[in-house]
Parts: sequence; structure tokens; C-alpha cells
Amino acid sequence: MNRKELQHIAADWFETQGWTPFAFQKQTWTAFLQGKHGLLNAPTGSGKTYALWVGIVLDYIKRNPNYASKHKKGLKAIWITPLKALSIEIKQAAERFVEGIDVPLTVGIRTGDTEQKVRTAQKRSMPDLLITTPESLHLLLASKDYDKMFKDVTAIVVDEWHELLGSKRGVQMELGISRLKTVAPKLRIWGISATIGNLDQAKEVLLGPQSEAFKNSVLIKANIAKKIKVKSIIPKKMETFPWRGHLGLHLLDEVVPIIKNSRTTLLFTNTRAQCEIWFQKILERYPEFAGEIAMHHGSINKETRIWVEHAIRDEVLKAVVCTSSLDLGVDFAPVETIIQIGGPKGVARFMQRAGRSGHQPGKESVIYFLPTHAIELIEASALQKAVVKKEIEDRIPYLNCFDVLVQFLTTLAVSNGFYPKDIFPEIKSTFCFQTLTEEEYQWVLNFITIGAQSLQAYDEYKTVEIEADGKFKVNSRGVAMRHRLQIGTIVSDAIMTVKYLKGGYLGSIEEWFISKLKPGDVFTFAGRNLELFKVKNMQVLVKKSSQKTAKVPSWMGGRMSFSSEMSELLREELYLANASSGKSKELKALSHIFERQQRESIIPGPDQFLIETFKTREGYHAIFYPFEGRFVHEALGSLLAYRISLLSPISFSIAFNDYGFELLSDQQIDMQQVLDNDLFTTRFLHSDLRKSLNATEMARRKFRDIAVISGLVFTGYPDKMLKSKHLQSSSQLFFNVFRDYEPDNLLFQRAFTETFAHQLEEGRLQQAMERIATQNIIWKDCKKPTPFSFPIITDRLREKLSSEKLADRIKKMRVQLEK
Amino acid sequence: METANLYIDTQNFELHPSGAMYWREQNLLLIADVHLGKVTHFRKHGSAVPQSVIAENFDQLNEVNAYFQPKTICFLGDLFHSYLNNEWILFSEWVKSMSAKIILIEGNHDVISPLKYEELKIEVVDELMVNTLFLTHHPEIRDGLFNIAGHIHPGIRLRGIAKQSLTVSCFVKKSNQLILPSFGSFTGKHIMDVEEGDQIFAVTDDEVIRIQ
Repeated sequence: MNRKELQHIAADWFETQGWTPFAFQKQTWTAFLQGKHGLLNAPTGSGKTYALWVGIVLDYIKRNPNYASKHKKGLKAIWITPLKALSIEIKQAAERFVEGIDVPLTVGIRTGDTEQKVRTAQKRSMPDLLITTPESLHLLLASKDYDKMFKDVTAIVVDEWHELLGSKRGVQMELGISRLKTVAPKLRIWGISATIGNLDQAKEVLLGPQSEAFKNSVLIKANIAKKIKVKSIIPKKMETFPWRGHLGLHLLDEVVPIIKNSRTTLLFTNTRAQCEIWFQKILERYPEFAGEIAMHHGSINKETRIWVEHAIRDEVLKAVVCTSSLDLGVDFAPVETIIQIGGPKGVARFMQRAGRSGHQPGKESVIYFLPTHAIELIEASALQKAVVKKEIEDRIPYLNCFDVLVQFLTTLAVSNGFYPKDIFPEIKSTFCFQTLTEEEYQWVLNFITIGAQSLQAYDEYKTVEIEADGKFKVNSRGVAMRHRLQIGTIVSDAIMTVKYLKGGYLGSIEEWFISKLKPGDVFTFAGRNLELFKVKNMQVLVKKSSQKTAKVPSWMGGRMSFSSEMSELLREELYLANASSGKSKELKALSHIFERQQRESIIPGPDQFLIETFKTREGYHAIFYPFEGRFVHEALGSLLAYRISLLSPISFSIAFNDYGFELLSDQQIDMQQVLDNDLFTTRFLHSDLRKSLNATEMARRKFRDIAVISGLVFTGYPDKMLKSKHLQSSSQLFFNVFRDYEPDNLLFQRAFTETFAHQLEEGRLQQAMERIATQNIIWKDCKKPTPFSFPIITDRLREKLSSEKLADRIKKMRVQLEK
Repeated sequence: METANLYIDTQNFELHPSGAMYWREQNLLLIADVHLGKVTHFRKHGSAVPQSVIAENFDQLNEVNAYFQPKTICFLGDLFHSYLNNEWILFSEWVKSMSAKIILIEGNHDVISPLKYEELKIEVVDELMVNTLFLTHHPEIRDGLFNIAGHIHPGIRLRGIAKQSLTVSCFVKKSNQLILPSFGSFTGKHIMDVEEGDQIFAVTDDEVIRIQ
């Protein structure tokens, strides 16, 4: 059959479904049949699954014209999804097509949720198409004879590639594909991505720079233009609207008419804690919604989540309070309206969420922005412009992730074993490891075999062994089992399951939250007030509680930063506050705050850099306003604190948000000295930043992930109590011993590299400082906190830096007495 | 280096920044929770903790022994972290280099057979009673007696103005009990709830500081 005839099969089937193929779908079929690799840029709910799956099936028909009588069993295609929740929908779509055209291809799912007996059956006989996650793919690479299993695979499709790209799961995919390229010579590699700033780079990362696949690849864009309408919820009484906060409950009453006027509304919150609170408060104030509203976030048990998803589809719910857990995935046709509570911190995320509404052709997406404090209205105004300009952020790929490499090489050693010289070129062909040197590779090989760089007497380190012929292999069953349990790059705190005393699973919760509670304490979880009974074997046993007030788990995370584009829009918006015309209605609503800011300090213009100082009961505050986004402020705050701390011994508590940062101390900073010493200079930026990192906690936090991914810290699994008690230790302790005893360890060094590249965005910091150098510094010595300073000085998540002697600091402090 | 002094029932004690405590009248050095063998135990299970931490433990032991030159060293439990491993060889060598008598009060981590300790002429006991003081691994309260123990790895959280806070290992003295910090270089600390009336001695690299 030629290509035309093949495409007819698909077109005919589309017709029986009452559909017409989109241009991007036909282009993808053609490209796939031509043997090309590529990246498809298409949004959720656009028919992207059929763009690739149809191509794969048509290619199968082409290669096996006698498929009806001579179907050969075995794995032919792999579909990677970042969320296991999406796998069922993909399976249904895939089966619908092959059943429709009567091709005997089978579809199977293999994720962390797949039952053991199904997995065992799959190992014996793989389905033709396997839908799986990056982690489960690596688990397959950790099983014996994986090369035989994968040898006839003709396609791997990485769905939602944009979600993986800027994370270590992306690196995991790069490495997995690099191995598959060798064991499956007919492999074609495709990614599907929503719109991001760096689509071309996304394709290069997926396929490997300068690889044959990259040379023979295409980027196909669906170009489905979607109209998005952004509306801000502006408080009726601005005067009483708070200056700080992150919950947004003041506007709860404004939300209710929106919910009532729409078929289904999704309310996106930024953290799970916020999600829990909103859900409870809506029900408290509007009990008539009982049964019509639901909650959806990552810690709620799977059955409840699936029930909620079905209920949205069946239009039995008026509203769902959710987190990013509903960012991705299948269409929810009844969803007409989206409400974003608090800043989404990213244009791409905001647009993605908006796109969850108004799915019918011709309909526009409607998203409301609900500010949680006054200054956030500036953000609302800037977001509207960003949506119009489509200022979408890049997803920055990781480079030289030695922790993921350690894990990957151990994986290969667990299954078939490997010869280092065979694998080196494969690893080097990936985007992540394109600059990997032989020395670094040798370091990693030494690390996994002797746990050090030189052999020591009496050492008993044991994971990967080097066999007589030079093969690297794990022969200990215990090591292999622990490694399999630990495969993956998503690191969270130890997770404990929450259960009723009488039985009944409620969900999972991070250990550190539970560790703050005592038996008898009441906390809110999954929309209920629960009393902690006891904690046993990684299980949290609870009873229902009728008590009204409760502690809400404050999940970490959700602290995103503005992109440089968004920060620029935000600055421009703010500068407008000084202008006499051209103000949006959001800015107009803020006029009384601007007046007060103006009265007590200034509203900086484009050529001004504002510093405010004032004293409160808490100490001496110095607030700096670069308006460059949270991450740049985190870097600049640490840098400046470090440089000031060189002038004389001093301790700082540093807070930051997207507008600026605060240095708080028990001593007054001599601001004139700061200005005279030119502490904003870009000279020695890198080395000063590096030294400031040593003094703060940032790198320590990054190290936690690295320690788990590389297997230094063993976390085990929920529900599987392993005899690991003597192996328990905190990553903090690991960080300390590496710092004190092995500071040149590449994994330890990674913590700093990652903080530089992904947290502090050194490049942006440099640009920001160059911009500041062109501005006039305006230092205002204020009498009290100004409106702009309020959200910053009340932020509780803080960094510390000190140049005082530990003993001197201790002598100034007091013990926290038990309340 | 600065130590701190303390009296319990007219007896003189000197607190060392390493976490060890010296009993002057008895010429006895008390050390809790060294967790020897832990690094090797981790390494044996595929977790590449830096090996130099092992040497650090012995260096610290030598340093504190040289400073006080005690007649007896009493370990308040959790001397060895886990089952026998190659660190035992290093430990044996260290024991042979010591002129002091060594006593071990068994802790929950001490799973190595007492016979192995006896081979090294180390006396293994459940607890030790000296006058009205009794020494244990797990903290215990008994009427009319003062308890000295380890096990907890005590630490405290300190707060100052301008949102300053830090955690630090410490000795904790209550009316009838004293708990030593962990001595080992690869051990964590447990943040204690401090009660009114407790005496706290924070431990830094080169100083013991009385906080309250």
C-alpha cells in the first residue's frame, strides 16, 4: 500500500466518526510514514493522540500487509505520559481506532498503579502498544533481557513533553531514549508539547543534538488559535482589601455568582493547603453547594480523584476546587469558566488553565483572576497583556545531572549489566550530557563501584561489581531490589498514608506535617476535620472530628517565579501607576494604595531603583525593589546580604517575592556605606554568589533531591515497610558530612550548580544588575512599613545568612519554650 | 577551646564541646551515642558516605581522651550502630591503644555480642550506679537518684529578634537528670521541647555555652 492508500484508511475512519482530520494530523501521519522523527506542538484536547497513534498504526500496516493472518506478537510502540491518570484516556482513544479499522493491535498500561499480576503477564507477553510513565520505562530497563523486549519497537511517543523537559524526568527520558536507539534500531522518536518559548530546543533535547534522528526530524504546529478572555475580580471595597496574604478568601462572595452562572467552574489554587481551605470555606458559607462542589489535588486518594474527574465530565458538579493536578489531561466539556486564585506565576500555566474551559469549537476560554492581596492586582493587569502578547516562558533543560546518571547506570547494571565503553557514546549523545568528559564519566563509574575515588582498606561499599570481562553488574538481590524501589526523579518528603482507625484509606500526606502534630490534634485533610490517633508503620491513623478549628497542612512547593518577560510586563505596569492616563481598571482600583505609597515613600519610575529602610519591633528592615521575579530576588538578596556581611559581623533573615526582597537584621545596616562601596557591582558576581550560597540553605535544599536520586538516601516506599531503620538518615546530615569531608564530590557540587542554573538564574541576575546600574538609587528612610513592603516583610519563608560567630549568635538568642 | 563546669550532688563535671562529659572525682569520661560502624553500614548498603568520617570519629575520641586523660571511659550506649562490620577492626585497634578502662552501657543499637567486647576487655553492663548517680542509655527516672543518659541526641531551637533562628546540639540538665548530646560525626539531632527550669548547654565547635 502506498502512502495515499494508507492515509485513506484513516480518513475513512475519521468520516465514520463524523470528524474531519486537522491539517496537523495529516502532516504528522505523512511525516511518520516518511520515517521522520519530530515534535508535535498541539494543545490538550486537540486530537493530538490520533495525530501520532494513527501514523504508528498505518506504518504497521505498511510493514505488515498480511497483518490479519500473520500478526507477530510483541511490543511495537511506547507511549510515555507524565501523569498516570492520563493513561486510561489514551488507551481508550488508541483502542477505538484499531478496533474501528479492525487491526489486531493490543494496548496495555503499565504504571505504578498496575497490579502485580498484570505486570507479570505483560512481561511474558507485551501488548503492541504500551502506555507508561518515565519511571515505569526505567523499571523495564532494570529488568533482565529488556533489549529483547524492546528490539522491535518502531515508535516512542513522549506526550506532554513540555512538562518533562524542564525537570529531571526529562533527563531520565533522554537517557532512556539513548539506550532504546541502540536496542531498537527501527525506533522513531516523537514528542508532543504544548506551546512553550523554546519549542525548537525542546525537539533537540528529545532527539539528541546532532543525532541522526535530529537531522531527520520535523516540528509540526497545530496552530489552533484559542481566544482567551481574562477578567479580574476587583474587590468592591478596595479600602478594606488586605495588603498581604495568599489565600484570597476576602473575595469568596464574589466567586459564588460566577459559579452559579456557569455550567461547571474550576477554581485553581496554587497549593494543596489553599485548595483545602477554599473548599471548606465555600461549604461553610454556602452549605447549599453540598454535593455540588468537590476538591481535587495530588494527595487525595486515586478513587476519589477519578470519581471527581468523571463527575466533571458528567456535569454533576457546579465547581471543583483544584491544584495543578487538573492542569493536564483530557477534556472536560462542561467546564465553562476558570477562576485562578492568586498569581499563577507563569503565562504558560495561566493560558493552559484558561484552556481548560470553553472546549466547544468557536467558544472562547474564560478565566477570572482572583487577587489574594492588593498588589497582586498589578499582576492581574500585567497578565492580561501577557496573554495578548503570548509571552510564554521557556522550559530550561537540565545539564550534566550526575545524580540521574548514577541512577541510570545502576539501572543498566541491575538488568543486563553494561560495558562502560559501549554506553559512553550513547550518554554523550544526549542533550544533558553532551559535554560529559571521560574524567567525569570515570568519576561516576568509580562512585557506583567503590563509592569513592580510591580504594580504601577495610571498605565494604557494595553496589555495582566489575566482572572479570569488564562488565558492570549488580549481583546482590538486595541491592537490586532497593534500587528498583528507588527508581525515579520525583523526590518528595517521606509520604505516609492517612487511614481511618476503623479502616478506609483517605490519601497520603508528607511526613514533616504529621511530625508537627501530637495525638489528639485536629487537622484538615481531604475536606474533613480529622483527629490524629497515632502514627504507626508509615500510616497515620485518624478519627473523624467534630471540632471546627483545625490545622491545615501547608504543603510546600507552589513557589514559582516570574519569567523575565513577565517581570518586564509587571515593571511596565507599575511604572504606569505614575502616569496620568492609560491605567487599567485594576490599577485604578489600587489608587488609594498608590497614594499612600507615594506619601510614605515613592513609586519608582523606569530610571529609579527604590530602597526603603524602617524599624519595627522585629528589627531593622531594608527593602529593595528590583521587580525582577522571585528567583532573581533570592539570588540578589543573598548576594547583597553576603557583601554587607563582609563589612562587619551581622546576621540577616532574607525574604523575597516577585517585587523585591528584604534584609532584616537586629542591627541597623549602614545604607550609605552600602551605596559608597558599590555593592551592586557585577564584578566578582560569580564568586561572591558562590560564597553566599555556602552561607545559606539553598544548596542544602537542592542536595536533598540529588541525594535521593543518586541513591545516597534511601527513602523506601509507603505501605512497604522495609527493614531500613538502620539506614535512615536525613539528607541534611549527608550534606554536612560531604561539606566537611568530601567537598569535591560531584554530587555535592551538583547542588550548587543546580542552584545557580535553575534557582538563581545567574544569567538573569547579571542582566538585572546591569539594568540597576543604569538607574538612580533612591533610598527612602521611612517611618513605618509602606504598602509595597507589606507582602514581603510578612512572608514567613526565609533564607538566613550570617557572618557572626556561632557562639556570639547563640549568646544573643533564647530557647523556644514549649507553649 | 572552652569547656563548661557543672555540679551534680556536690560532684564536679566538665562539659566538652565534643559532647563528652568528664567526672572529676571519679576520673571518668562519659561519651554517648558514637554510632561507630554507621558509615560502613551505609556504605555496605550502597550509600556512599565519605569514608573520612570514620577517621574523624576516632580522631575526636583521641582528642577528648588526651584532654582529660581519664582512668575510665564509659560509653552511654549506641557505641556501635549496627551489626559487626570492618569498622570493628579499627575500633579494636583504637581500644588497644587506650590505657583507660572502658565500660559500655548497652544501648538499643548495640546488637553486637557482649563476648566480642569482652575479647577487647570492655565491660558491658545494662546500667551503672555510682553513689546516687545512675548511668543508663535510655533516660530513666528513679526516686531519689540522679540519672545520666544518652539516646536522645538532644538539640534545641534558638530564636532571636529579627527572625533569627538556629538549631544546635546540647546537654540538657533537669532537676534529676542529665542527657548528653551525641558524640558521633555522622549522627543527627532531635529537637527537644525545653521546659522551664531546664539547664541547657549548647555545643559549638570550640565552646560549650550555658543558655539557661
